[in-house]
Amino acid sequence: MTILEEPIKEVLTIKNYIGGEWVESKSDRILDVINPANQKVLAKVPVSTREEIDEAVEAAKEAFPMWRNTTPVARVRYLFRLRELMEEQFEELSRIQTMEHGKTIDESRGETRRGIEMVETATGITSLMQGYLLEDIAVGIDEFAYRQPLGVFGIIGPFNFPFMVPLWFIPFALACGNCVVVKPSSEDPISQMKIAELAEEVGIPPGVWNVVNGGRDVVTGMLEHPDIEGICFVGSTRVGRDVIYKKCGETGKRCIAQCGAKNFLLVMPDANLDRTIRSCMTSFYGNTGQRCLSGANLVIVGEGLNEHEFNAFYDKVVNAFVKSASQIRVGYGLDETVQMGPLRDVEKKKRLVKTIQKGIDEGAKLLLDGRNIKLVGDLPQDAFLNPSVFTEVTPDMYIGKEELFGPIACIMRAKNLEEAIDMIHSNPYGNATSIFTQNGKWARQFIHEVKAGNVGINIGIVAPMSFFPFAGMKDSFYGVLHGQRESIDFFTDRKVVIQRWF
Amino acid sequence: MEITTASGVISYIGKVEENSAKLYENLAQKYPEDGETFLSLAKENRRNKKSIEYAYYGVISDKLEACFCFENLDTDNYSIKTELPEEINYPDALKKLIDLEEKIQRFLLDAAKQLKSLVPDVSFIFERVGKKRAKRVTTLKSLLDKAAK
Repeated sequence: MTILEEPIKEVLTIKNYIGGEWVESKSDRILDVINPANQKVLAKVPVSTREEIDEAVEAAKEAFPMWRNTTPVARVRYLFRLRELMEEQFEELSRIQTMEHGKTIDESRGETRRGIEMVETATGITSLMQGYLLEDIAVGIDEFAYRQPLGVFGIIGPFNFPFMVPLWFIPFALACGNCVVVKPSSEDPISQMKIAELAEEVGIPPGVWNVVNGGRDVVTGMLEHPDIEGICFVGSTRVGRDVIYKKCGETGKRCIAQCGAKNFLLVMPDANLDRTIRSCMTSFYGNTGQRCLSGANLVIVGEGLNEHEFNAFYDKVVNAFVKSASQIRVGYGLDETVQMGPLRDVEKKKRLVKTIQKGIDEGAKLLLDGRNIKLVGDLPQDAFLNPSVFTEVTPDMYIGKEELFGPIACIMRAKNLEEAIDMIHSNPYGNATSIFTQNGKWARQFIHEVKAGNVGINIGIVAPMSFFPFAGMKDSFYGVLHGQRESIDFFTDRKVVIQRWF
Repeated sequence: MEITTASGVISYIGKVEENSAKLYENLAQKYPEDGETFLSLAKENRRNKKSIEYAYYGVISDKLEACFCFENLDTDNYSIKTELPEEINYPDALKKLIDLEEKIQRFLLDAAKQLKSLVPDVSFIFERVGKKRAKRVTTLKSLLDKAAK
């Protein structure tokens, strides 16, 4: 099997895109963007200054009156063209994600497809943004409600989905008539640079779509800027809750903060084991465990079984899980035989190595040790971990409670469904959860009772499509309205008109 | 070569279809009396390749278990060879082609089976393209009958 050709051949210089111009940052702080699989430098990205974010907001503010008066039909035409270009460059865009993030090529293509789907859904704005009207609320008087755009929005992207996540928001914001300033993750900013190049190519007017690279200063600049109407953030709970949501509250901004997760997957005694295990491999180890929808805790449930039967069932699931996890081929994502890539960077690996030791110290049993690195191909091991599996984990242990964001599975046991649901509820997060069963009654009970935003029945990754909201509860989400389709409410204000003609 | 991922199988079968198309185009030049038939088979190869790629690129998503599609799917077990020995005579060439089509069919149907629960849209197209192979085999057999007379 060959390794797919790399689309990035030389070290790129990432610039900011402000007011329709590609401008070099004045900052003297420049970071390397490193391919985590081979540790080669792909690009240089600036840590932009407060002044540069101010310039971008100013450009967006200036563009807003013209853009909001561009008809929805015309706005959507830009998105149709953007979609076409994304399709044309589908493969290049996908390979860039693998290079800058580390995920496998199947995962990158999946991310590209999902990003394009956001643009597709937003092109339906002429229907989605419609208001409503009631004739004769009183004799000769009509009332109607419609939506209007608000102005400038800030979009803060995470490192784990460098292409797709900002697209949960940008196409909807633009289709509604708003302007955006995007801050990609400085760990992997190339995808957003490429998308902005496409936006420029399709002729989206200057100032409507801006990109400013950087870190804390850029985020603070967005949060404190009086001309930013709202912030869309995807990242950790610590930042989402304690910084973004809090500051948006203080400054009166709208806020979508999609945060951390600790997702429980339940395996019931009647589950189709072969298919469940394959789903679990994708869930726990896909994207190298670096996603807010990843499986974290696998709960084997003994509902209806006596102790002997439960032990046998537990062993069967654990053995199948460990066997599959141990066979996962780890390496460079552009190698088509590889099933799991590296972590995004060396620091993340160091943190997870410590986490594994912590799990051992807490008394969990490490059945599969991902610190023993085995790779496909001759690669530096710096950012790689192989899959790990812990058993005898309890919900109060650090590894059972906290978001680990890596390829570490924690296996637990619950004597029945009720106990399993209680375990889920004892955790502060509420992003996603799944049950594997063929029993409709158990599934129905699970859907009804569980406090999590995204619920799966025999689904490993409960990723809502673009035409549904990306939900989240408890410490996994801060705000009122969610991303994707629901963001149309977020990006517009209601105006109600009552009219009578004398 | 062991295939483990959806990307791997798409690349592999894409190459098989493309190389088969080239093979039939060469045969069309070499045996112009059956050229039209060979060219239509080549055209179908390229259509198959496109259909498979459309299906994969159209549905690929993180919801699907694309990296964990296959267990024990090894191309070495099928010995699919899309070239013919230079000195081969026409009837023997046709026999080799029939064998090739049957092997490709077997590979496609085996892969479809494993893909069925995980990436069903791609499984469906593999199955369809695989089943179409039977018709190609019939066509090649009729050419062989004609050549034998």
